[in-house]
Amino acid sequence: MNPYVLSILLISLGLGTTLTFMSSHWLLAWMGLEINTLAIIPLMAQKHHPRAVEATTKYFLIQATAAAMILFAASTNAWICGQWDINQMSHPLTSAMTMTALALKIGLAPLHLWLPEVLQGITLTTGLILSTWQKLAPLALIIQTANNTHPFLLTTLALCSTLVGGWGGLNQTQLRKILAYSSIAHLGWMILVSQMAPQMTIIALITYIVMTTAAFLMLNNINSTKIITLASAWTKAPALTALTCLVLLSLGGLPPLTGFMPKWLIIQELANQGLAATATIIALTALLSLYFYLRLTHALTLTLSPQITNATTPWRTPNKQPTLALSLFTIMATCLLPITPTIFTLMT
Amino acid sequence: MAMTTTGFVVSARLLWTCRKPFVRTSASPSWSVILSRSAHQTGYRRPGQPKDNRWFWQRINFDFSKGVNGVRKHLGLLKEEFVQRWEGPEGKPLINHMLEQTRVLWEFRGPDSLNDWVVSSDQEIGGRSAAYLKLGRNNTTCLLYGTLCSVAPRDGETRYSGYCSMRSKQPFGAFDSKKHYDLSDFNILHLRVRGDGRPWMINIGIENYFSHQKDDIYSYFLYTRGGPYWQDVKIPFSKFFLSSRGRIQDDQHYLLQDKINTIGFTLGDKADGPFQLEIDFIGVCNDTSHTEDFAYETYKRNPEV
Repeated sequence: MNPYVLSILLISLGLGTTLTFMSSHWLLAWMGLEINTLAIIPLMAQKHHPRAVEATTKYFLIQATAAAMILFAASTNAWICGQWDINQMSHPLTSAMTMTALALKIGLAPLHLWLPEVLQGITLTTGLILSTWQKLAPLALIIQTANNTHPFLLTTLALCSTLVGGWGGLNQTQLRKILAYSSIAHLGWMILVSQMAPQMTIIALITYIVMTTAAFLMLNNINSTKIITLASAWTKAPALTALTCLVLLSLGGLPPLTGFMPKWLIIQELANQGLAATATIIALTALLSLYFYLRLTHALTLTLSPQITNATTPWRTPNKQPTLALSLFTIMATCLLPITPTIFTLMT
Repeated sequence: MAMTTTGFVVSARLLWTCRKPFVRTSASPSWSVILSRSAHQTGYRRPGQPKDNRWFWQRINFDFSKGVNGVRKHLGLLKEEFVQRWEGPEGKPLINHMLEQTRVLWEFRGPDSLNDWVVSSDQEIGGRSAAYLKLGRNNTTCLLYGTLCSVAPRDGETRYSGYCSMRSKQPFGAFDSKKHYDLSDFNILHLRVRGDGRPWMINIGIENYFSHQKDDIYSYFLYTRGGPYWQDVKIPFSKFFLSSRGRIQDDQHYLLQDKINTIGFTLGDKADGPFQLEIDFIGVCNDTSHTEDFAYETYKRNPEV
């Protein structure tokens, strides 16, 4: 893509999210969301492949529907309550409508059906932007409106997401779809705790972004989009393969890796609030996600797939791809657990 | 309005599953000739099929047991789709997905295997070719045979004719949801055929989103040797080119293997006379030494200067 066009699109992406972050008026927040949607559309469709165009169309329709619902809810709230402030959404109908629209925007179950198909049709780099950057603005709005939303809606969205994210990911061999279901499950954890401790949502979001970025960058480095190509990753970059295994287990929430931190803090918060049953259910549904992460780890590091002699020599060719971001995010995705007290103090 | 229409469609579909197969009776009302072109006769009637002259109340054959069996079958398929995930992706253990280098998709080992295929020829447009499908010797192969005739039908608008084809049916899951073949782990189509020396075309249809793409097909040639010996044909998926309604497209891209719907064989070589093609099996395999993404250039039509 032309570098000027690419820079305009990336700057627009940054602008849209920043606009939503700093807004207290619903119209400005909605405008930021729309700028984000429109800026990523050309990035998704740049390959001109039918599957990419299909993913772009589906993404646009879903995001436009969600944005229209947000605008409708905000206008209805302004009509009923007389003000446009994001924090002051006091009517139950409008707050439920807003939460549903934001759930559609980020892909929470049961409004998640678009996410695996859309992620499957785009490149790994664009998928990374979709899974991480595009979640920031809607989650900022969710955190601000969670207090005014009925807890039953949030809990239902959260538990559905963790369950569907786990169960749906079991049937996949395409890595982008697996990461889509992983995204759905992680968002469920974030939403559940947003009503009682929003700072936990932010911790969970930041750790999710770090781990997902590491995972996407690794898959991009070894150019792998299916489980069967993961099995030959050790021939291209043996050390990276071992680290990918650790990042995937971190996504699964295993101690002593970074991914354990949000799960531990969220379960602790739920127990403090007296929601032991909810904590048990969400911990059990996390096991489903762990199953498919372990499956990927098994394919990556614990097996040798049949291949010809030539295929065992790609590691001899030096890899010219830049690895600064990859190494940074990998370290953060695996080694941040010991500084949990620091992070907790900083966020609370 | 939309809900009424949807309800009508669903109830019509339920009634359709309960119907008994059509049996033509000789006694039809004599004054049906006057009303033969009335509004209630809608839908496409395939040439060669007998006309259905019954009244609409005579066509209804309601049967509860067929509906109950249909519901039981679909609920069983739905339960299977949920439970199979515990075993692994698509019901097979992960080790299968990782180590599988070959997979046989269709092999013709009994009369039921022919039900997955649809045979068609230019008789649909009024031509004179004929194509038939039957099991070959010892019920171990399928034989597509017939006669090709490239005389155009005399309807004033058709200029070319003379084609015969067989195409696999799209697989369906629970409640007739479309299922696809995910062949992304493989890169070569492997057939074992015994032809008669004619050039055939293999057509692969994939799942599309836009209605503009409904006639998009990825094709490649199958040159048969003829003779009594079997021919192993291995065609990489990177060789398939895109055509729409038979016209090769300028904007080419590689065949996406993750949602393949149908595969078909077409004969249209303008050589009148009998033909036959015997197929032993159709499978896919993974060749790690074949690293080509796409065999043709995907150049830009208006390149930047």
